[in-house]
Amino acid sequence: MSDGLLLDNVSVHYGAMPILDRLRLEVPSGQRVSLLGASGSGKSTLLRLVAGLVKPNRGRLNWRGQPIQGTSLERGLVFQDYSLFPWLSMVDNVALAVGKAKPQAGKAERRETAVHFLRQVGLDEALGKFPFELSGGMQQRGAIARLLALGSPLLLMDEPFGALDPVNRARLQDLLVEICETARPRKTIVFVTHDVDEALYLGDRVIMLGSAPGRIIADLIVPPPRRRDRRTLFESATFHALREQIAACLQADTLQRLAA
Amino acid sequence: MSEETVFPTETDVLPFDLEQTPPCVDDSYWSRLWAYRDAVLVWTGLLLAWSLLSVLVSQGPNPLLPSPVATAQALWDSLPELWRGTIASLLILVPGFALATVLGIVTGLWVGSSTRLQRALFPVARVAAPVPPTVYIPYAIAILPTFRLSAIFVVFIGAFWPIFQNAAAGAHALEARHRDSARILGLKGWEYQRQVVFPAALPHIFSGMAVGLGFAFILLTVAELFGANAGLGRFVQYYADFADYPRMVAGILYTGLVTYLAMTLLDRVRQRALFWLR
Repeated sequence: MSDGLLLDNVSVHYGAMPILDRLRLEVPSGQRVSLLGASGSGKSTLLRLVAGLVKPNRGRLNWRGQPIQGTSLERGLVFQDYSLFPWLSMVDNVALAVGKAKPQAGKAERRETAVHFLRQVGLDEALGKFPFELSGGMQQRGAIARLLALGSPLLLMDEPFGALDPVNRARLQDLLVEICETARPRKTIVFVTHDVDEALYLGDRVIMLGSAPGRIIADLIVPPPRRRDRRTLFESATFHALREQIAACLQADTLQRLAA
Repeated sequence: MSEETVFPTETDVLPFDLEQTPPCVDDSYWSRLWAYRDAVLVWTGLLLAWSLLSVLVSQGPNPLLPSPVATAQALWDSLPELWRGTIASLLILVPGFALATVLGIVTGLWVGSSTRLQRALFPVARVAAPVPPTVYIPYAIAILPTFRLSAIFVVFIGAFWPIFQNAAAGAHALEARHRDSARILGLKGWEYQRQVVFPAALPHIFSGMAVGLGFAFILLTVAELFGANAGLGRFVQYYADFADYPRMVAGILYTGLVTYLAMTLLDRVRQRALFWLR
């Protein structure tokens, strides 16, 4: 029995259109997995499946040995689009998640914890502001703070840094690495991205999905050490080799799709 | 001869001293007044047309269309009576509209959030909602013990359906991203309704309330024609019976003003409540 995430022979189709086809994937607890793939390869659908927002047409999904049936606080998801509630301030948005993670906490404690998470993502100046008063990148940082506040052991992240500027993007990547390395027990993360460098920097493992229908075309292990230094990693020969391997895989998938 | 392209220098691009630059929006008293010039023109035109018509159409000591001056005099003389009528009307309108608002929102949100409830209750709503509420007036007067209760019931019925239907539509139209976020956060039942569905449906709810308030005023004045001993509708009916047209027209204008003020108040509340849509 897997202690992490297990997808066994999972297929999803919308009407007659297949999205994911007989997908088999096992993610041990505490592992960070980056999902790469062309648009339409079913990356977001895979995350929504694991989150419990979508039901598979075939196959089974387990988290920590239990079948996934609907959503659960065990599996937090941050969306591609800005998903904060616009009628709540940033603190109240995050406090909503704190209230779920710590139902016994009083109002003051919820607020204090929410402020802590917002400060962690660099939103000290935006605590009392509403999402519409902030840039898209700041809103997305608020959504990440809300996900962290939920305290889920499995974090599902759907291109969360796509809207951020390079400085904040690097800062949040580092924050995510730090959270993963310091959290006990370690968080399991499934992270969707289009950025190969980001996938390699954040992932212990990079999985590539081919399109039409979505299936795994490559599963690469990013070698340790876990404690990553951005410059050392990006200048290493291993990084360049993996980068080329991923680029070749994606190119082959594109050519195959065009030929079909 | 070829023209050489000249790129602007930094001095060309930024010749302004920002502190000396005049503001883009002229916010002076006269400019704000100037913005209302069209409205002033329309009102002046309407008053002139009314004066002209009252001279042309109405002859004799008790003209059917009194002049603006005669109407203004009647309005001034009737102010204490109209004020008492306003209180009497509001004592019917406020409870009826408040009850319709509370019940319309609560039931609308629950029905709009549940496919099963929609299937069960929407056919009933489709039959009941289009019935003109005025047809309930004689029945309400017959079955309820007092005129006031009957009038409150009729106002309630008139305002309830637009609020209910709009609240249900608002809940039904909840954006998928908010619904998914709520599911991820584990929000359910009352908490889900209060934190997500209600605020998301507020734009629809306020639209329903505006329509409901309009209906409520119409039904209030109609109901008062049937058997009230005080109220704005009663004022107009009473002086019409005595052919006191200046007071009757004053009553109509005063009722219009009260309705306008109520709608403006609701609009202000809407603007404050929907601050995130600004």
